[in-house]
Amino acid sequence: MNLVLSFSLLASVVGPVDFVRDVRPLLERHCQECHGEKKQKSGLRLDVKSEALRGGDNHGPDIVPGRPGESPLIRFLRSDDPDEAMPPGEKLAAAEIDLLTRWVAEGAPWPDGVDTARIADKRDHWSFKPVQAPAVGGVDRLIDAKLAEKGLRRSRPAEPANWLRRVTLDLTGLPPSPEEMEAFLRERDPAAVVDRLLASPRYGERWAQHWLDVVRYADTHGFEVNTERPNAWPYRDYVIRAFNDDVPYDRFIREQIAGDATGQDAATGFLVTASVLLPGQIGKDEPSKRLARQDSIDEIVVNIGQTFLGLGIGCARCHDHKFDPIRARDYYAMQAFVAGVEYGERDLRSPEADAARARFQEIKAGISGIDQALSRFVPLAGSGARRSMVNARENRDRFAPVRAKRVRFTIRATNQLEPCVDELEVFATSGVNLARDARVTVSGERFSAGRHEQRFLNDGLYGNSSSWMSSETGKGWVMVEFAEEREIDLVVWGRDRQGRLNDRLATEYVIEAGDAAGVWKVVADATDRQAFDPAAREASAFSLTGLSPEEADAARRLLERKRPLETELAGLEAGQRVFAGTFRTPDVIHLLNRGDPEQPGEPVVPAVPEALGTLRLENGSPEQERRLALAGWIASPSHPLTARVMVNRIWQGHFGVGLVETPGDFGRMGMKPTHPELLDWLAAEFIRGGWSIKRLHRIILLSGTYGQSSEDSGGARTDAEARFLWRYPSRRLEAEAIRDSMLAVSGQLDRRMYGRGFNLFDKRGGLSGFEPVESFTGEGLRRMIYAHKVRREPEAVFGAFDCPDAGQSTAIRRSSTTPIQALNLFNSRFTLDAAAALSRRVESEVGSDPVRRIARAYILALGRAPAAVEISEAEPVVREHGLTVLCRALFNSNEFLFLP
Amino acid sequence: MIPGHPLLDRRSFLGRSATALGSVALTQLLHAEGLLVADDPGIDPARPHAPRMPHFPAKAKNVVVIFCAGAVSQLETWDYKPELIDWDGKPLPGGPAVTFQGPAGALARPQYAFRRRGQTGKWVSEMIPHLAELTDDLAFVHSLTSKSNTHGPAENFLSTGFVLDGFPSLGSWVTYALGSENQDLPSYVAIPDPRGVPQNGANNWGPGFLPAAFQGTTLSSKSPVRHLTAPGVSEGADEAARFLLRKMNARHLESHPGDQKLAARIASYELAARMQSSVPQVADLRGEPDHILKLYGADDTRNPDKAAFARNCILARRLIERGVRFVQLFNGAYASGGKLNWDGHSDLKAQYDVHAAILDQPAAALIRDLKQRGLLQDTLVVWCTEFGRMPFFQKGAKGRDHNPDGFTCWMTGAGIKPGVSHGVTDPFGQKAIEDVHPLYDFNATILHLLGLDHERLTFEHNGVRRRLTNVEGEVIRAILA
Repeated sequence: MNLVLSFSLLASVVGPVDFVRDVRPLLERHCQECHGEKKQKSGLRLDVKSEALRGGDNHGPDIVPGRPGESPLIRFLRSDDPDEAMPPGEKLAAAEIDLLTRWVAEGAPWPDGVDTARIADKRDHWSFKPVQAPAVGGVDRLIDAKLAEKGLRRSRPAEPANWLRRVTLDLTGLPPSPEEMEAFLRERDPAAVVDRLLASPRYGERWAQHWLDVVRYADTHGFEVNTERPNAWPYRDYVIRAFNDDVPYDRFIREQIAGDATGQDAATGFLVTASVLLPGQIGKDEPSKRLARQDSIDEIVVNIGQTFLGLGIGCARCHDHKFDPIRARDYYAMQAFVAGVEYGERDLRSPEADAARARFQEIKAGISGIDQALSRFVPLAGSGARRSMVNARENRDRFAPVRAKRVRFTIRATNQLEPCVDELEVFATSGVNLARDARVTVSGERFSAGRHEQRFLNDGLYGNSSSWMSSETGKGWVMVEFAEEREIDLVVWGRDRQGRLNDRLATEYVIEAGDAAGVWKVVADATDRQAFDPAAREASAFSLTGLSPEEADAARRLLERKRPLETELAGLEAGQRVFAGTFRTPDVIHLLNRGDPEQPGEPVVPAVPEALGTLRLENGSPEQERRLALAGWIASPSHPLTARVMVNRIWQGHFGVGLVETPGDFGRMGMKPTHPELLDWLAAEFIRGGWSIKRLHRIILLSGTYGQSSEDSGGARTDAEARFLWRYPSRRLEAEAIRDSMLAVSGQLDRRMYGRGFNLFDKRGGLSGFEPVESFTGEGLRRMIYAHKVRREPEAVFGAFDCPDAGQSTAIRRSSTTPIQALNLFNSRFTLDAAAALSRRVESEVGSDPVRRIARAYILALGRAPAAVEISEAEPVVREHGLTVLCRALFNSNEFLFLP
Repeated sequence: MIPGHPLLDRRSFLGRSATALGSVALTQLLHAEGLLVADDPGIDPARPHAPRMPHFPAKAKNVVVIFCAGAVSQLETWDYKPELIDWDGKPLPGGPAVTFQGPAGALARPQYAFRRRGQTGKWVSEMIPHLAELTDDLAFVHSLTSKSNTHGPAENFLSTGFVLDGFPSLGSWVTYALGSENQDLPSYVAIPDPRGVPQNGANNWGPGFLPAAFQGTTLSSKSPVRHLTAPGVSEGADEAARFLLRKMNARHLESHPGDQKLAARIASYELAARMQSSVPQVADLRGEPDHILKLYGADDTRNPDKAAFARNCILARRLIERGVRFVQLFNGAYASGGKLNWDGHSDLKAQYDVHAAILDQPAAALIRDLKQRGLLQDTLVVWCTEFGRMPFFQKGAKGRDHNPDGFTCWMTGAGIKPGVSHGVTDPFGQKAIEDVHPLYDFNATILHLLGLDHERLTFEHNGVRRRLTNVEGEVIRAILA
């Protein structure tokens, strides 16, 4: 108070400060090097009135007119603390500081129109303005116009065979079959081909991958544990179906943001595709929890902005966006739309899923009844019959009935670490599990609240997160005690009956029964089981050995009843759960200073960035309503970004590069479109055509621009990369297309669609390393989009071909060339297997004549017959080393790997 | 051009990268692949690992990072806090009630004795006697902080400068900028601990959104690079396939004259062929003399984990000797209740006895060996961990919880001022209080020693010019020679 008073006195003595004469020169001399046009340290700019009075990122306004004592600017000028003194290392003269202080005290008068710099209007940017389609459109017309400006001309049409190969790889990720090639060369009907390819289910499998790159889809949770996210795939399947069904793009947007409201529940998997810390990984302290929640909401907002708007709005989490009109306030207002979204697995809600769930319960009950009956037919322990190897899921130790008051299970060795048992069941001869009501004692435990606790040993719940863990490596015991002595004949135990984990498994153990008198007797141990083999992946099947003929017969009948139930169950189990958005009452979102959850500012309401729209909701608006409103705003035909961003992605899919070269950035840092009229014409056509993606494909694919040759017709001197499309720009196929094509050509491709992913590694997620599967059979021969995608872990052969790691959004794949790619593609078991399979296929199709075989291999792999010189080169090699050698070379050839 | 966005400084770029391919074609190619940004290192697509000039003269040419996964306690190693001896068993006044894993217990003395070392007289723990002997050569930063107290995000933060998944690792940034001196070996090698991979696995050596060429290649004395040879294929058949491929590609290139992408792929097969012989050579330690095996402890038959880690350390030296740019040597595997890495929550002393025996002699020998061969003049050795540990035990346990607010890492070798201890934590070693350095600064310093300005080493991704140090980072000058 005193301070302010004394300055006002001072001011009255010497007259008012003049901004232009007194203040501006000081700011120019001392401040603007760091807080001016070139640099805006801490987001502060002192050369433009509006910016200077708004302040920097760290603490509201730096200048509080009339209150120098509350103005950080004055505090910093006066400070002796080297951490906050300004300017750093050069304190202003006392008179200068006094002058600035007086200026602030006088209300910081800053006349309009005297600034030497001007701030660019961040909204003045092409992509934030409405789509303006030219009066006359057409792909070729607009491309040719630009070419003419550059003194270039479109190339001649591609050879028909090249066109077919290009469009087939482009739309389906697989090369055309020889029959398709023949038919096209005969009929020459491109429109029919495009229709056929768009109608093929292979189309959705190919184009869904482009989308999954952008939303960084994966089947694991990421971060340190990177455990399996077992039911993420319904979202992947949703995307494939959406492309195949040509779901209009505006609906596609609504479904992914609010599909729970529109009958496409699995689509909300979009909201939670990011890496996330699982509840057990987040610190117990409150700041850890708040930070984890902020990080997880941030990922949702960033995903929405990146995917649909092509804007990186995450920058505004800590400060106003430096280049785009997104302020920190806008960012947090966007968070408020999704403040009730949580990451989690839940029941999938659809009529089919509900029916499947009911049927699932029914079958499970049936199977468990059969199992109960079958368990009688396990060979008795110690009967002389070799019993099956212990396995992590479930082990049954059956023995001759014995009276017991207590049962002790003593572990003497494990495959790894401290033993863990998820459930111990002791059955009376009547079939009742006595352990449920028994008293449990243990040798010791490694306690982990809610996960490993003694009481979980007999709680009736299966799985690692409801288990007992011993305190000692490789050993430990548990004992159950019944209220009274009972007759028992079966003990069932497992390490993880959900089948996720197989470490910490008791491999040597002994089970003893103690009667009421305290006499102990061994009833079973591991000595008559097959020796434990860690490499054996699956538990050995039910064995009839050691059973009497009558027992074997009865068991066989039970097994026959069980098999179809299991098959049906496997199909059902899949459909009923989903990792998707889970919804609750939204948190109140606050503006956070520098993104720090420990420094909350004022609360914000759901609203879209002020510069882009006017949508604004009340603070109490219901959760689902918020997302519907946001989706409606994005999916509006009048939104300047939505259609342009998607049209550009489609164009990029066809030509390798978009009309806007930076598909993930339509903001001011991004590249401008090479063909703005074409982009807007396509966007308008897209909307006019009911947001049909397939219609858009047709427009582009049937153009002369797409159909021209990729060969150099002389334009390279002016435009080597063919950005203006004087030729079709060739490019290397993506990892998935290479793998899928090798399988297709070699006749191995398994075309089964949808469902749980197949394994690329020995594990589906977890802490330790991932051993890649080397040789694929069965479902491993499905298309790569159906692989269980382990976040960050590149597939051993094809990952090196720039597969995204599903960490951050990949709007465009880099195309790098490395010796590791060459080693993988030339030497891997996968390639050798495919080469051998192609060789077998060729032989079965054309017999053993080397020349015919060479010709057939070329036709299958490259879609053309070999030239005479190619035959004469290959023939002696094939005679000496076999056709496999040629097949291996073909799979590595540039002709195979590049779009023609 | 967009104001404030110096995207295409074509003139200076062309001047720098006028290499074999012809500068115009190259520029356009890079542009097409999205590589061309301000201060782009000028990557020749046919030789993405060719050596490139730094921003300014470098003190160090190569780096070995010894990465101790699981968070090594600063209090049991390098940051001596005698106050804790007096306060042993008493609660920390005003300390937090709950930390990462749960309720906090009482303050606990350092679990090892400390002794003064060398000329500097710095107090270092008995836990690591071999490394302690090198104290005079090391430059310590005692005041580092992390942005996360959770292993996954914190290892991301140490390795990539971001807590989220999907950003490029330090080694990827370095090889993206500088390439490598050796074209027959991977430019960036990650050597996992013999007990398993660290908590964040491949993200610690991942390229994020940089081209896949800059991904770390995993290699250890136990497991070789994959796909070096084709299993079950005779030499003759192998050579025949190579012959046919060469012919096919040459003919295809003839019909696409001047297509650099095709030429680059052809070149990559030639590089691959060279790697087929050079990688097994570097990983073959049979030629190492006995006294070297002994120096590293690779002959320790009673401690196979130590012997295996020692072999990894020898491998690291062999890679550096051959000009590999960036070697990341992991000590400590995945989360295991502190059994396989430095995450000493439950019984810290017992667990650290095991881990220290594995780390100490081999890591110290690596530094000595690099030094005696003169390699330390060009090589920066970095010892780091994702965060530190609390001065108090966890309630009901004999271990310490996660602490991101003050912990120690060190560097030695090229460009480093030996014997410095920079930064201070409070008397209990809980929080950095003087010269506080977020890990951004540590990473900025590593880049600086390699002649790279962390603010200029950028890559355009989804509208942001990304850096290793986000928008932070100041070089820690106090530890520079």
